[in-house]
Amino acid sequence: MRKIETLAMILAGGQGSRLGKLTKEIAKPAVPFGGKYRIIDFALSNCVNSGIKNVGVVTQYQPRELNKHVGNGEAWGLNVHNGGATILQPYASVDGEKWFKGTANAIYQNSSFIDQHNPDYVLVLSGDHIYKMDYQKMLDFHKLKKAALTVGVIPVPIEEAPRFGIMNTDQTDRIIEFEEKPEKPKSNLASMGVYIFDWALLKKYLDEDQSKRRELEDFGKDVIPAYLGNGENIFAYAFTDYWKDVGTIESLWEANMEFLDPTHALNIRNSDWRIYSQNPSASPQFLTETSNVTDAMIVDGCYIAGDITHSILSHHVKVGKGSIVENSIVMSGVTIGENVTIKYAIIGDNAKIHDGAYLVGKEKEIMVVGYNEEIGGLTDDEK
Amino acid sequence: MMKNKISAILNLKEDDSKLLPLTEKRSISSLPFGCRYRLIDFPFTSLHSAAIDSAAFFIAGNGRSLHDHIRSGASWGLDSSIGGGLFPHTETAIREAVEMSKADQINSFYHDQIHYVIRSKSEYVVMMGTKMLCNIDINALLRYHQEKKADVTVVYKNMVQSSCNASEDETYLLFEGQATDRITNLVSFDKLEADKDKAPVNMDIAIMTSKKFVELATQAGKSKLRSETMLLFKDHLDEITVIGYEYTGYLKNINSIQSYFEANMDMLNEKNYNALLTRGNSIITKVKNGAPTFYSKDAKVKNAQFASDCLVEGEVENSLIFRKVTIAKDAKINHSIVMQGSQIGSGSSLEYVILDKGVKIGEGVHLKGTADNVKVIKKNTVVEPERGVKA
Repeated sequence: MRKIETLAMILAGGQGSRLGKLTKEIAKPAVPFGGKYRIIDFALSNCVNSGIKNVGVVTQYQPRELNKHVGNGEAWGLNVHNGGATILQPYASVDGEKWFKGTANAIYQNSSFIDQHNPDYVLVLSGDHIYKMDYQKMLDFHKLKKAALTVGVIPVPIEEAPRFGIMNTDQTDRIIEFEEKPEKPKSNLASMGVYIFDWALLKKYLDEDQSKRRELEDFGKDVIPAYLGNGENIFAYAFTDYWKDVGTIESLWEANMEFLDPTHALNIRNSDWRIYSQNPSASPQFLTETSNVTDAMIVDGCYIAGDITHSILSHHVKVGKGSIVENSIVMSGVTIGENVTIKYAIIGDNAKIHDGAYLVGKEKEIMVVGYNEEIGGLTDDEK
Repeated sequence: MMKNKISAILNLKEDDSKLLPLTEKRSISSLPFGCRYRLIDFPFTSLHSAAIDSAAFFIAGNGRSLHDHIRSGASWGLDSSIGGGLFPHTETAIREAVEMSKADQINSFYHDQIHYVIRSKSEYVVMMGTKMLCNIDINALLRYHQEKKADVTVVYKNMVQSSCNASEDETYLLFEGQATDRITNLVSFDKLEADKDKAPVNMDIAIMTSKKFVELATQAGKSKLRSETMLLFKDHLDEITVIGYEYTGYLKNINSIQSYFEANMDMLNEKNYNALLTRGNSIITKVKNGAPTFYSKDAKVKNAQFASDCLVEGEVENSLIFRKVTIAKDAKINHSIVMQGSQIGSGSSLEYVILDKGVKIGEGVHLKGTADNVKVIKKNTVVEPERGVKA
């Protein structure tokens, strides 16, 4: 039987309900970021750049857009011999419908897919985070420590620790306690949702649980405590570079605005650790005689006749004469008419903003226009 | 044979001598154009739009630069495992020279073309090149050809006579009479009637049935003709029905540095940009992963086009900037073309200049050409202020 060292499983089924309109019809990992990416591109690209070419993408909530985006993984170079990206969705079977009840349950329900690959290690990732990480280094650490499980952790400011799952470790990085959102945190090492499991052991736990109380639904809440209770070796692998969970409209806006900075820690222009995405065919970006573009990121297919400052414009955005776009994110296919004012806003894919519209939010109260929404223009009576 | 299936023959042995040094290591077909394209993207996109999944191309040199761009042809749907594919024929110049000297033998490039067309099981063959830059709808051409029951249909564009220059390599169509589209001759510019305001320029694009193609190519091969599209039927215009199909979109003959420069600059005119690049299906090219282009707080840009992955901190006006170009603070670029990966140092200025790929312009370097004598800097040149151009 063919054997691989590491299989990555990206959990991409989350709704991200705090992103409001932006996740009404698409899952959080499919939310556009940084002009030409979607959030899941970071995890997928990290896999490829770490030399992992077998990836399962577990989807559940509103998966259509995400499934289309990932496809066969070609955009990430995953459509290669002995590699591939596979979309894994819940399905109905003779045992009834199998909605994934939690992170661990999603892995359990895809055991047969994992067994087909026969991996030594399963790298479990979340499709929700923006970061560049070499999983190979974490795997080396896992092997060195002879761990049963290694949890990726990121130091967070201690006052923010109560928002996270916190790992308390000893001097050898061994995790001795896990606390979900502790009121009085003992450490500041937050779980990143990145796990490396020895597959044989994890499978044993999950299989045995099925014949018992079926309570291992979530890695943080159930599996880690079960491992700790049985004295398994769990280690924390500290990651200290840029990592961002864009869980809310404000944090998504903020992460995009940070991304504009050419000295940003993600260093997106570094060709040694590229972030790959689907690249639609588009004409060059056209900045006309009347345009004024500063401190902005622009993607191909854009046609700009207005003023753009401190903003990110995705593919195929049109901005008419006399319009102002400031401190905003404009997603792909958006048409902005003439003399429109947009400040502190996120404009969803394919929205239409008609002439003279005024859309001004505040730094802590970002205005959001949903996908395909239409703002301004003639009312039905005027048509 | 599959009904209405079209196969394609691309003649890419085009004369590039007036495009040197840009064509030193590449053919016209792989010339970079319009910030992110190569000229081959235009005929390939036309094939793709007409659902043509099979093409054979003939190129004089080894075609390395072209192969690097097109790879499997997947970007244009030319890698189908069922009935399609991309069939390269390289070093035709050498083979042509050798085989022309042998007697009583059909030239192998005709043999290759005939072989390809028969194997493709297509009902029709379309023949095109890359130096006549256009965005043509092949399905519309086929419908016209079928409706007119012609043996061969040739594509032309009516140019305003005063705008044409009597270039040697351009041919014009003579029609049977005012009201017909039957072609009676292919002539050079000076043979056109001077009192007419329109000049129907031949675009070197023709469509015919595979059967007719095999017949004409066999004949041409025996007569030792060079393999050019028009030579297939030029001497048979009284025996077979060859008609003209008028193209009304953007057209430019890319046969010199000057016309290459003008064609790029034409894209800064919205009408041309839309007609060539976004009409119908937008032009497909090999996509690259690059970051969005960043315009800094100091950037000053007017009437310019950019590809992705650039870092713009200087001034750019009336220019086209390809992928991965960095333009430092206080650099000024005007009326210029800057190809992929070039770096423009601070305090430098470019006016009427073409920078080939990977050129480095040092701090404070000033390069200036004129509108009718554009300065070209060769690939990977480093230009330093004191020492001038260094290869």
